[in-house]
Amino acid sequence: MYMSDQRFFDLAIKAVAHQATDGERAELDALLSREPGLRAEFARLQADVRLAKDVLPLVNATQPAAADLPAYARGRLQSKVRETLGRPETSAPSATDEQRRMMWRWRWLLGLAAAAAAIALVVVLWQAPVPVIQVAMLDTAGASRGSDAKELAALQQTWNKAVVDSFSSTESARAWETNWAGGSRKAVVKILYDRPAGELRVLGRWKGKTFAKTFVVEQDFASALNQAKQYIQEQTSR
Amino acid sequence: MNLRALQAGDADAWDAAFRWLWPVVLAVAQLKLQPFFPNEAEDVAIESLEELVPKVRAVKTVEELRPLAASIAHHRAVSLLRERFARKRGAGKTESLEAVQAESGADCPDPGADSPLAELEQRELAQRISQSLAELKPPLGEVLSDFFLHGLRYEEIARKHGLAVGSVGVYLKRGLEAIRRIWGRNGE
Repeated sequence: MYMSDQRFFDLAIKAVAHQATDGERAELDALLSREPGLRAEFARLQADVRLAKDVLPLVNATQPAAADLPAYARGRLQSKVRETLGRPETSAPSATDEQRRMMWRWRWLLGLAAAAAAIALVVVLWQAPVPVIQVAMLDTAGASRGSDAKELAALQQTWNKAVVDSFSSTESARAWETNWAGGSRKAVVKILYDRPAGELRVLGRWKGKTFAKTFVVEQDFASALNQAKQYIQEQTSR
Repeated sequence: MNLRALQAGDADAWDAAFRWLWPVVLAVAQLKLQPFFPNEAEDVAIESLEELVPKVRAVKTVEELRPLAASIAHHRAVSLLRERFARKRGAGKTESLEAVQAESGADCPDPGADSPLAELEQRELAQRISQSLAELKPPLGEVLSDFFLHGLRYEEIARKHGLAVGSVGVYLKRGLEAIRRIWGRNGE
């Protein structure tokens, strides 16, 4: 019977793993000479050990462990979810009608209450340090269309202190997204308008923490820009 | 984690799923790629999660996701290795490949070639991983890994897991039999 004798198993497995002492090796050799039928079992055991060494790392890797999903990967993966499984109403709380209405209400209030706006401005100016804002646009179709220029202008207008980079390849845009020159401690916010995917991705590092959010650009680019701006303000005022 | 939410494309549910599955796909990708192309592991891990997204429709329980993600990552990593090595051979760069192997200490230019894992389809591989996770419950899996992967002796394993020295061999025997039953070719 396969591996029926525990003593034989212990001797054989130690020999296969090169852990047998001289005495154990001699005992195994004697056993194999006395019972030649065990040689087949020994060979089978060697094959089992090869199999175990092959599959155990894979099984171990599947066990729960800790590793942080990179912020840049999140936007890309969420794009895949939207492309593949659609865009449910409940999945993007920032884009619900209710929140849009709320945002407009706030704008009116801010417009009417000049004093409140002045206070808000003081608060904004007071905040230090201010994150470095980097803005870019990806358009794999090239920059020949008129709407490109409008969107670039809108990006520039929204973040008027930033230089807006323009990319025509996904690889270049991705390299830009993942390049955090200055280390993880530097406060940086990256805003990438991924035109083919129809989304505005925000990635940031602020006070040692990372944040990321994707804003779907449906019809209204300006609305997505406002949402992104508001989100950045929320994240960097903490 | 809510499977229905994932199947409906709920962004928050997927955020949680990606965070949960990331360590798995990264570890599996690194397992294969670390000796040869360590910089590719993260890309393969992301691509594996992307590939997982449409497959969620066919999944019946959330528990299936981890083995499935691992299986996808394994296949992607092996494919990348094969493609890169084939390209090197095709370009007449066999010597540099050998140099890579010599540097890394790896012993096989096609890491999937002699493995029963290479023959398994993605879903079958996922099922076997899942079955292994279910059968190699603590401390069985750890005892096997300590002996076969980390080279610990019976006495060291017994001390580490609070077992009698005599029972270490019993665990190893039971574990090997389980692996053979799950992974052996044609149910040998």
